[in-house]
Amino acid sequence: MVSVRLKDVVKTFGETVALKGISLEIQHGELFTLLGPSGCGKSTTLRIIAGLDFPDSGVVSFDEDDVTYLSSSERGAVLVFQNYALWPHMSVYDNVAYGLKIKKLPKEEIDKKVKWALELVRLTGLEDRYPTQLSGGQQQRVAIARALVVEPRILLLDEPLSNLDAKLRLEMRSEIRRIQRELGITVLYVTHDQEEAMAISDRIAVMNVGTVEQVGTPKDIYESPRTEFVASFMGKTNVIPAKVVERKGDRVSVEFESYRLDGLAYAEDKDDVVVVIRPERIQLHPIENAVSISGKVDLIEYYGFFIEVVGMFGDTRIIARTISDRHVRELKPQGEVTFYIDRDDILVLPKQNL
Amino acid sequence: MAKVSKWSERLFGTPLFEPLVAFSYLFPLFYLVVFLIVPVLAMLLIAFSYNGMPSFHWFKSILSSSYYVQIPPHGDFLSKQITATGDTIYLLRGVDFGVIINSLLVSTLVTIMASLVGTIFAFIMARYDFRGKNFFRIALFIPLLVTPFVNAYVIKKMFLEYGLVNFIFHDILHLISFRLKIDGLAGVAIAQAMAYYPIVYLNAYASFINIDPTLEEQAENLGSGGLHLFRTVTFPLALPGIAAGATLVFIFSLEDLAAPIVFQGDPLAKKLMSFQIYSKFMGQFGERSPEIAALSIIMLTLAILAFLGIRKYVSLRQYAMISKGGRWKPRVSKPKTWQALIIYLILLPMLLFTIFPQIGVVLLSFAKQWSVTVFPHGFTTEWVRDMVTKPEARSAIINSLMYSGAAVIMIILLSVTSSYAAGRFKGALSPILESIVILPMAVPGIVIAMGYFYLFSGLFPNTPLDPISIDFNPAFVLILAYSIRRLPFAARSVFAGLQQVHVSLEEASMNLGASRWGTISRVLLPLISLNVFGGSMLSFVYSMSETSTSITLGALVTSRQPMTSYMADIMMSAAGSVNIAASLGLLLIIAQITAIILVNVITKQKYAFIGLT
Repeated sequence: MVSVRLKDVVKTFGETVALKGISLEIQHGELFTLLGPSGCGKSTTLRIIAGLDFPDSGVVSFDEDDVTYLSSSERGAVLVFQNYALWPHMSVYDNVAYGLKIKKLPKEEIDKKVKWALELVRLTGLEDRYPTQLSGGQQQRVAIARALVVEPRILLLDEPLSNLDAKLRLEMRSEIRRIQRELGITVLYVTHDQEEAMAISDRIAVMNVGTVEQVGTPKDIYESPRTEFVASFMGKTNVIPAKVVERKGDRVSVEFESYRLDGLAYAEDKDDVVVVIRPERIQLHPIENAVSISGKVDLIEYYGFFIEVVGMFGDTRIIARTISDRHVRELKPQGEVTFYIDRDDILVLPKQNL
Repeated sequence: MAKVSKWSERLFGTPLFEPLVAFSYLFPLFYLVVFLIVPVLAMLLIAFSYNGMPSFHWFKSILSSSYYVQIPPHGDFLSKQITATGDTIYLLRGVDFGVIINSLLVSTLVTIMASLVGTIFAFIMARYDFRGKNFFRIALFIPLLVTPFVNAYVIKKMFLEYGLVNFIFHDILHLISFRLKIDGLAGVAIAQAMAYYPIVYLNAYASFINIDPTLEEQAENLGSGGLHLFRTVTFPLALPGIAAGATLVFIFSLEDLAAPIVFQGDPLAKKLMSFQIYSKFMGQFGERSPEIAALSIIMLTLAILAFLGIRKYVSLRQYAMISKGGRWKPRVSKPKTWQALIIYLILLPMLLFTIFPQIGVVLLSFAKQWSVTVFPHGFTTEWVRDMVTKPEARSAIINSLMYSGAAVIMIILLSVTSSYAAGRFKGALSPILESIVILPMAVPGIVIAMGYFYLFSGLFPNTPLDPISIDFNPAFVLILAYSIRRLPFAARSVFAGLQQVHVSLEEASMNLGASRWGTISRVLLPLISLNVFGGSMLSFVYSMSETSTSITLGALVTSRQPMTSYMADIMMSAAGSVNIAASLGLLLIIAQITAIILVNVITKQKYAFIGLT
């Protein structure tokens, strides 16, 4: 088990820059997730840590050891591939025992360890099966067992749930969490699914076009996104382009369309901003410390246990999410509506060129 | 810990230099450059020099000689004779445009005939379901069975004035009032077209099967149908495959020696480039004749142009496969009445005609006497026994087995290393390697033979490698030639297998601590072993039937000559010997059938054995 440090890692493939100098620190025994849309560089980062690709510049270290150019077979950062990469010509037992045989462990010890690993992933009894005779979920478990049995310094998981159906995905998600806690190992997890990332991770790094936008706990990332990209990537949210029109200390007034919002926290220099408001923080009745905006109801969408009210404010659509109550029932399409938002729930962030 | 190496990444696609990967690149590259490119270059040097100076002399003298280029042509295309018994015989032998134009015309004609017939058969087989389809399926493979010389000999017999064709059309059906004899260039062309059309068939069939049916359904949905649908959608989509097959036919026809040798009784059949190179080489032996070199270069240029043209065309039009992956149900329908009539009344007889040469080979190897009659008189096992008991025959078989066996060992090594390097790494050398491995398909065998002759007699005079020396041992040269010429069969099979294995299977192994060699031996090789096996089987049987280098360089030392050289010898000598040659042909047929069945059954690869792309 190790901590992993990446410093200024740059990687290009031909003309395209996959990683533009990223730095990360993954602690001992934590489950750390790289989250981002496809093409953001998360898989490249993973492959560089696994030793399957090598950076153009920058340093990768495990604890105090520089492993940047150590070959994959020597570094003990074991990867569970997205497609599991089980060898079709070997039984479950031989797949799992592979890494141990390479280490030339005695037969009894290999037997013992394989048994342990298969128990851990709850596949005892399937040793003699071949990968094609297993379900997707079982293949996934074999791949995890094969990686864990060699006691990796760090376990790398590349979109491990993407090939499973919805129900199995939830099940495997908690399995992975259980195993990680049981063994206390360092895990690096890659996904593009923000919900999956939030549910499973100790910490998350949100990546976009070859850079790390923000690193933090799921709560940090969701509640206090530091960039427009992170705010818009983490769940459904309102991102409204606006302009700073007045500054008082670290409070500002911003304008969008004909609306003016006063007294919002913002300390950056840039006047082109976005106002980020989570739909569930918008109220339909007056509250303390709130700004209010009035517009027209565009749509009311029923989701069952909650309702979304889409308001039009000039040409800007803002979504509010609420439970069905008296205020909602009074609303009619094209009728008047007023949204109330606690000032402290409004984030003002510099506008990014996304 | 190694540092990343920029040049290793650029050349071999591995940031950390790995000797095994470098070997996979350099070994096949070196082998093909030294034993394919260099011999051609050596020949170029000789062809382009006159009295020690660089010169176009030999090319000028060839192209200005009426022996090589003769416009307008000499001779009558068709001539009429009346025999003593009063039969009218029309003799079809072609006209003489001079050696080079003759070669071009014959190859073009053969390509057109083979493409037409091959495409029609492919379309029928791909789109219609009819009684006897399985017979068609099997029969269409039969003309592909290579029996050098004997095959062409039977075809020649079929088209004699009292042969099978006249027997059927004149004597039985009375469809024609005269007898037709085909000889000379026309004979060569028809023999080649009959032997090579299944190559187009196989490529075209694969193309038709690979067309996404929704493309045709959409066209029908928009109001197309029948011939219009075929002309606007189906045929254009299949054209790259058909063209690939056609190119192979063109090259095969250009380099073919067997048909001209068999038809050489008519001097017109000798006026082909392949035969000219062959006979000049055997005739003025010992002279390093620049004229032969120049002629070889002209032939090579034509073949390479055809090959490169088609490569370019096919790579530009890879659209037959681009629509969504997945398996689909092919569009198969019952033929309408008029289509059924075409199938049974035209195509079936045509098919039977084209498999007759192979049947004839079997008949010949058991025929007691079969010279001027339509069918043999009586049967005997004498010839088959001769094949085993005659020391020359036995030693020729053993020689062929040894040369082919040794060549296959090289071929396995070459095809695995080159496929691994070109298929797994993105180094600058990968595309070069990928093309050079299939390049032997475009180089006529007689050109390789001449290249080796010039190279080895020049570099190693008076050694066992020197074809002019009395110590010459053809083993080394033939093994080299077989391993180069038959490499594409195995290389394509292994490469296809490699692409079926996802690279993550190897990465997972390396990632779990295995070395490069450990990964190759425990993961990759077991997963592609069937492809290696299938490919090398094909390379082996086609090495056994190799002609061009075998009957030139291989014929120089009688005791060490391979089977095909022995067959060529006895074909041209006393009566009765033809039957022994046929027995040897039968042996080759059995070997090829076994290999094709094994490859199809074990590796489930169909049509993998001949094709360009």
